[in-house]
Amino acid sequence: MVPTDPHFPGAATSGGTSHEICRPALLRRALIRALSLRWVVLAVLVVGAFIYVPIIDNFRVSMTNRDIFTGEISQVGLENYQRLLDDPVVWRALLNNTLYAGLSIVFQVFGAFLLAAMIEGLKSRRIRNLCRAIYFVPSAISTTVTGLLFYFLYQPEVGLLDAGLTSIGLGALSRPWLALEDTAIFGIIAMSQWQGFGYSTLLFSIAIQKIPRELYDAAIMDGAGPVRRLFAITLPMSREMTGLMVIVTITGAFQVFNEIMVMTAGGPNNSSQVLGTWLYQQAFIQNEFGYGAAIAAVIFAVTMLTGALQVWYTSKRRVKL
Amino acid sequence: MKKISKITTTALTITSALSFAAPEVLAAGSNPVTADPAAEVDYSGTLSILTKFGSQQLSPFFEDVAKQYTEMHPEVSVELIQETDDSVKGKTKTLVATNSMPDIFFSWTGTWGGNFIRGNRAVDLTPVVGAGTEWGKTFTPAALDAFSYGGRNFGVPLYLDAKFMGYNKSLFADLGLEPPTTFDALLETCDTISAAGVVPVSFGNKEAWPAVHYAGQLLVYNVPVETLEQDFDPQTSAFDHPGYVTALDQFRAFIEHCTTGAPNGTSYEAAVQAFSDEKAAMYYQEIIEFDGSANSDTALQPEEFGYFVLPAPEDAQGDPNAIEGAPEGYMVSAASDQIPLAIDFLKFLTTQETGKVLSASPYGQPSAVVGGSEPRTMNASVVAGMADIDEASYLMPWLDTVHHPRVAATWLSGLQALVGGSMSSEELVAEVRETSAAVRD
Repeated sequence: MVPTDPHFPGAATSGGTSHEICRPALLRRALIRALSLRWVVLAVLVVGAFIYVPIIDNFRVSMTNRDIFTGEISQVGLENYQRLLDDPVVWRALLNNTLYAGLSIVFQVFGAFLLAAMIEGLKSRRIRNLCRAIYFVPSAISTTVTGLLFYFLYQPEVGLLDAGLTSIGLGALSRPWLALEDTAIFGIIAMSQWQGFGYSTLLFSIAIQKIPRELYDAAIMDGAGPVRRLFAITLPMSREMTGLMVIVTITGAFQVFNEIMVMTAGGPNNSSQVLGTWLYQQAFIQNEFGYGAAIAAVIFAVTMLTGALQVWYTSKRRVKL
Repeated sequence: MKKISKITTTALTITSALSFAAPEVLAAGSNPVTADPAAEVDYSGTLSILTKFGSQQLSPFFEDVAKQYTEMHPEVSVELIQETDDSVKGKTKTLVATNSMPDIFFSWTGTWGGNFIRGNRAVDLTPVVGAGTEWGKTFTPAALDAFSYGGRNFGVPLYLDAKFMGYNKSLFADLGLEPPTTFDALLETCDTISAAGVVPVSFGNKEAWPAVHYAGQLLVYNVPVETLEQDFDPQTSAFDHPGYVTALDQFRAFIEHCTTGAPNGTSYEAAVQAFSDEKAAMYYQEIIEFDGSANSDTALQPEEFGYFVLPAPEDAQGDPNAIEGAPEGYMVSAASDQIPLAIDFLKFLTTQETGKVLSASPYGQPSAVVGGSEPRTMNASVVAGMADIDEASYLMPWLDTVHHPRVAATWLSGLQALVGGSMSSEELVAEVRETSAAVRD
């Protein structure tokens, strides 16, 4: 029996051996496959040219020192990476990025997941939609505008935060949040949570909506309460979204830039620097493009590693229906 | 594990190979370009200009000049890139790094401008604007000389700038105060104002450079000029004069007596606004800000505005007659293919008539052109400030543009720490010294 291919009906109609019959069909199939790859090749070329080549080029630049005014480039090998290790601001920035990522995971992943579960548990569809809209609004405001808004909110004399603290008898906690080395980064992180929380909640809401209702009905019949249903059904069934959100949150935390520039510009005394702002300062303020590229390589390595780990973990724990 | 090691080795090998394959020199101005006074101007094409007049108050100036110029020469179009004091630094460096410099670009004097000469990126304008030329004679000599490097002129000064303490005359009168003449008297004045429940000096240091301006003026009072100039260059720097610590201690005393709140969390714009709103008695500002901080739209009216030079300490070891400031101006890109046209535009920009517009309200930028100001149309304080600049024994350059960028960055972050109280004067000077030594090595 000569195998027929619905896509190539003529392939099995002539006589002769099966080997002879199949050869043109196989060739044609290979040709079609090769032709179908042309779109992939095009995409790979575009992505390669605009993403991978610059990444590789960044590593090359990180091994040089370049005087932008004279155009002179000197090869310094791994000197810029050695300098990274000795630069206290880099460590401070790395710590700030890590703080940013850690707190963002707590609020924008787990906090948003809980809130989404609560919203989706509401019986009234109208109230559910209203809640989603209310929490999403901050995400629709640009980061720069939000940064300015919080800059005024944190102002010690006219800001709403200190006025609010004073009005509830917590005036002793009032302080110039963005002006102190100990509190500046936390003020910015708090602003970021306010802005990103609603977006994460919306994504979790979508993930929760996709969970089959039958699972909940069955759990209710088995006597499972809301907390049990949350941990036994909602959480495992949202694992892929949770994994995605962790990746997005961590990579976002290591790419943070606008908030810092608007609110503190990395100060006071570099206390709120993150890798992105320190990279900018080194490359575009201090003309240290090679060193800036080395910082960029660190950001790339951290986000790449985090993403790879998270993808691996999520794929291992995927729940299949 | 072996596999990972193999991949790492391969990646490093490829990266290293790429690294060594890099060209030694990227495109820059390879040879010095000198302006030709006999070159014929081709009045066609587009002239790109990077300005520092991006603020709402100043941006119409270049727009108007460009409009007048293009009306005279309809075949010419002018493309303006208007940046602010803060953004022009990053913008310029990005344009330099990408070899995309506009035909005409803004420049400070000192090391900042020197970078363009070092890289052959600015046209040597000596034959057209040198001290002995017709055009050169139209400028205040000191302003023109500030753009001279190695005896050659590379820039055209547009206006003069210097730092003064602006004050609210009405408020001073109400408290029976006179402008202080010594540094100690300034601290006493601040105490009196504080006791009256008013903010003595409005100070915003979020951007870090405002503190650098105070430090620069106090340094020139406490450290001899020769020592300062020696320390500007990392190759000769020592930063071992005791005047550095003295100046920074004085600055700390100033912070303690004269400012309130949290300067590091306040932007300089918020600070000037507080002064304009009469919520503070004084604000340390550039002469080019006089018209912005007191005008018909602000609570502080121009007639209520007064100024004085930041008073020198009585026992200062430096130059008590020096003022911090410098002219600011424009250069022509060596990569421009329209150098004669760019020079022609700069000539138009620096006529006496244009200078008078620039010096008068609402711009209030004291023109560097001789006769380029009309006191009748100008803010009286700007006129008097110009006279003070003329009489100054030395113009102390801005610390953040005269020093190597890494040393400047140390001044900026260190002074923020000093203002916030997390660093001592001695620690800051030691850090600056170390950075300068690291740059030298």
